[in-house]
Amino acid sequence: MLAEKLETSEFDFPYFETSIELLNALKTEYPQLRTLNFTLAIDRQITHGNIELKGSEEIALLPPFSGG
Amino acid sequence: MSRFERQKKLPGFGSEGQKKLSESRILVIGAGGLGCPALLYLAAAGVGTLGIADGDSIGESNLNRQTLFGQNDIGKSKAETAANVLKEKYPEIDFNIIPHFLKAENALDVLKSYDLVLDGSDNFGTRYMLNDACLLLKIPLIMGAIYQYEGQLMVFNFEENPMNYRDIYPIPPKSDEIPNCSETGVLGVLPGIIGNLQAAEAIKIRTGIGEVLKNKVLFYNLKTCAFYDVAIEPNPDSQKDIPISEEEFKQRDYQISCGLAEIISWEKALDWSENIGNSKLIDIRELDEEPIVENRAFEKIPMKKLMENPEQIMDVENIFLFCKSGQRSELLAEKLKELFPEKKICSIRGGILDKLSPFKNKGK
Repeated sequence: MLAEKLETSEFDFPYFETSIELLNALKTEYPQLRTLNFTLAIDRQITHGNIELKGSEEIALLPPFSGG
Repeated sequence: MSRFERQKKLPGFGSEGQKKLSESRILVIGAGGLGCPALLYLAAAGVGTLGIADGDSIGESNLNRQTLFGQNDIGKSKAETAANVLKEKYPEIDFNIIPHFLKAENALDVLKSYDLVLDGSDNFGTRYMLNDACLLLKIPLIMGAIYQYEGQLMVFNFEENPMNYRDIYPIPPKSDEIPNCSETGVLGVLPGIIGNLQAAEAIKIRTGIGEVLKNKVLFYNLKTCAFYDVAIEPNPDSQKDIPISEEEFKQRDYQISCGLAEIISWEKALDWSENIGNSKLIDIRELDEEPIVENRAFEKIPMKKLMENPEQIMDVENIFLFCKSGQRSELLAEKLKELFPEKKICSIRGGILDKLSPFKNKGK
């Protein structure tokens, strides 16, 4: 769903020290993200709060779905 | 030969698994795109008691995915029709028909008598309500959800250290964060797949076979035929919004208003209109209306002019309307949204008089 909104399904980013810095950079690159609700997964683990990054992590933005 | 011979033959399932299923009481919320396939396979597998809760009636546009129903069922109750269809095929099953939508006042009483709940609802309000109710009652909850070509599967309240939906998404999204509150497109096979995954997890939980999708979310993308699973961990923020008692639960309002227009704050409106591209901030008051404010960042198009000639905003993707108090802009936003359902059309809360308005102390 996010991939369609952002017209990309994958992105490579320079190194950021923390997940919040990364999110801010993503929101600058893809301003539509500001209007959407999603949670952040790092290396297939849902995270909360600010997480330190090493630089090689797999990051996924996971929106909730409501349809049935 | 018995109806269940082929599953009794399975290693690890056996007569014992079949007995467990026949003694199971499973409640399916929503007899829709997810509920229909889940109900069909749970019934075929020999679940003893099936509850079917749905307050909706069958519409023609449901038929591409709600496969228990046909052309002759249009207008009938989904819960009753689903039960009738399955009863005819499998007369030994006990069906509890709940032909209305669950609400916080009555949900606990309905859920209490089941071993397991399968959520096939179509809105966030019901999802958060079921999450909290099953958490209070300690009933396993199997949640399925879809959006266009993608689906999600989650199992909550199962075994020790159970997670819940709020560990992933602590609070319900606001209506302006839901990408498309109104009906969106769906290929029927997608809820068919997710609903069947829900049924599979239900059978595994009740019979003890295999490994249940515990403390994980599974994403499925139909277009790429890809599955992606993600581990959930407890979210400290999730606790504070969960009702701590049945009394508190019953008082909770889980409805998320899903009006056509999005109503947003000045802060968001200024941020979005500046940053998300192809945006227009529009003052819809009459040209001579006070206080007169001037700013290069917005345009003045009176409400009447916009209504007479809505094509003038045709090329703009994101539209932010404001008036003096926010009432007219909300009305206009809803009218424009009907004309241009694909556009993002927002009314700014409180208008110029709002305490966060950048024009608060300007003009006269």
